[in-house]
Amino acid sequence: MTTDMTPKERIGAFLTGKPIDHVPCVPLILNHCARVLGVTVKEYATDGEVMGRANVAAFRRYGQDLITIFADTSILAEAMGTELHYPDDDVPRVKTPVVNSMEDAEKLEVPDARTAGRLCVYLEAVRHCVREVGDEVFVSVCYPSPFSTAAGLRGTAMLARDLIKRPDLANLLLDKSAQLVEDFAEAVAEAGGIPALVDPVATGSILSRKAFEEFALPGNRRCLARIASLKMPPILHICGRISHTIDLMAASGAAVLSVDQIDLLEAKAKVGDKVCLMGNVRPTETLLEGTPDDVRAEAAKCLADCKDSPGGFILASGCEVPLETPPENIFALIETARSNGGS
Amino acid sequence: MSGEEGQRRREEILAALADAVDQMDEEAAVRHAHAALEAGIDAYDAITQGCSRGMMVVSGKYEKGIYFVPEILLCADAMYAAIDVLRPHLKARGAGGRTPVIIGVIEGDIHDIGKNIVKLMLDSAGYPMHDLGNDVAVSAFVDKARELGEGIIAVSTLMSTTMPGMGRLVEALKQAGLRDSFKVMVGGGPVSAAFAEKIGADAHGANAMDAIRIANAWQEVRT
Repeated sequence: MTTDMTPKERIGAFLTGKPIDHVPCVPLILNHCARVLGVTVKEYATDGEVMGRANVAAFRRYGQDLITIFADTSILAEAMGTELHYPDDDVPRVKTPVVNSMEDAEKLEVPDARTAGRLCVYLEAVRHCVREVGDEVFVSVCYPSPFSTAAGLRGTAMLARDLIKRPDLANLLLDKSAQLVEDFAEAVAEAGGIPALVDPVATGSILSRKAFEEFALPGNRRCLARIASLKMPPILHICGRISHTIDLMAASGAAVLSVDQIDLLEAKAKVGDKVCLMGNVRPTETLLEGTPDDVRAEAAKCLADCKDSPGGFILASGCEVPLETPPENIFALIETARSNGGS
Repeated sequence: MSGEEGQRRREEILAALADAVDQMDEEAAVRHAHAALEAGIDAYDAITQGCSRGMMVVSGKYEKGIYFVPEILLCADAMYAAIDVLRPHLKARGAGGRTPVIIGVIEGDIHDIGKNIVKLMLDSAGYPMHDLGNDVAVSAFVDKARELGEGIIAVSTLMSTTMPGMGRLVEALKQAGLRDSFKVMVGGGPVSAAFAEKIGADAHGANAMDAIRIANAWQEVRT
């Protein structure tokens, strides 16, 4: 083969089981896009056009195989009434959760997924990216699953307590969150994007297997099924330690599972035949603090361990590429995939 | 009550208190704390041999993957409810206890669940805790350190973007002439042992139990 595929051709072929030139590479370049465009994270997170331009600029620089629009994990909770704090140049975060009682939870309304909070910011960013580079690359929007959204509505520690003391309250929040997750999936698809779910609070670092199965899995199942019904590939990312829940994650209906702190050989052995695995170069130790050689070595190990996974493999970072990651490290990651043959 | 029977009763109450903490039962914890006081058990003993003993069981279960964050939080609620009952009855104790610990989430970050668990474990292990909360400025750590004179500083973050603040903290302690008087441990999701070494911290605590082990090791050297 003389001509390389475009990222869009590569991902399209990969997801439909056709031959590809190289292993796909999707570092989770999220807020780092603000650094590429030279804007603050606050400007990036609050202005759809800026967010779109930043993602296009990052794609132009790095040429990764998927645009992954994302600012923070509280965006749906904010759309439902939780107040966020916006640091000048850092990721927005929960300031005041909207739900303090069962009564609050009952009153909570599921807003319009096209206009509420900053949901319209994401949608504008999608449209911008699709317009500018949509013929070269697919554009995804990564946004929180019901469980992580409920954590933003209630505060993570309170939701954690509710799982044991007030499961009725937790389930009500999960149900309303799931409704908005589904509605937003539809809005993203309509704008030309691929809805992808991230569930950072449902990490095995916080939840037991039983709690994951009871509270985080059903919402992911429901929403990933909705995404599949939109003819979109169901993608799920959960960070942190996941050894004791990865088989459940693979039973969520996800076609692509993005994993963080787990040995890829273990992930492949446990679920490699059920899902396409995506991962997992260490964000801090390697991408942020390592040298390009460190990145190449770790990426090569990921490929050696998992490239032959029966369900397929996408080389990626384990979690978000840190804001201040040196560009040469991101280039090193992508080059490693590009110098590696496909199938 | 004979001495032997009293001893048995005392042991029963302390065991019930420990059990209430382990079972996340706030009401029972309060009830047994009152029972301890009524039976004439010293409030300090009730905390260390009841509450803390329960929390040690909890730590063990956490480390083995039996308990997770939701359970820990509820056990902690139960423990603090019992301590609230017992605290007013604590008699003043002389010095010679454990070294004070200043704990906080570094500026720019508000993720404090992990910090609170570490605080709780160190608290239940007998370390006097000075919790500065979350989003804590480097200068606030230094001010507190100056006030206490010596001890341990435990600082955490869940975000890679705020990690550099930990390096600035170590630097600021040096400039304030306090670095040799404090041991610094760092922790949180993206924080690694290599990072701890790079910024000149004394240790990286991978989890709450690790933090206790590190603090205990320093405590032994000190005493």
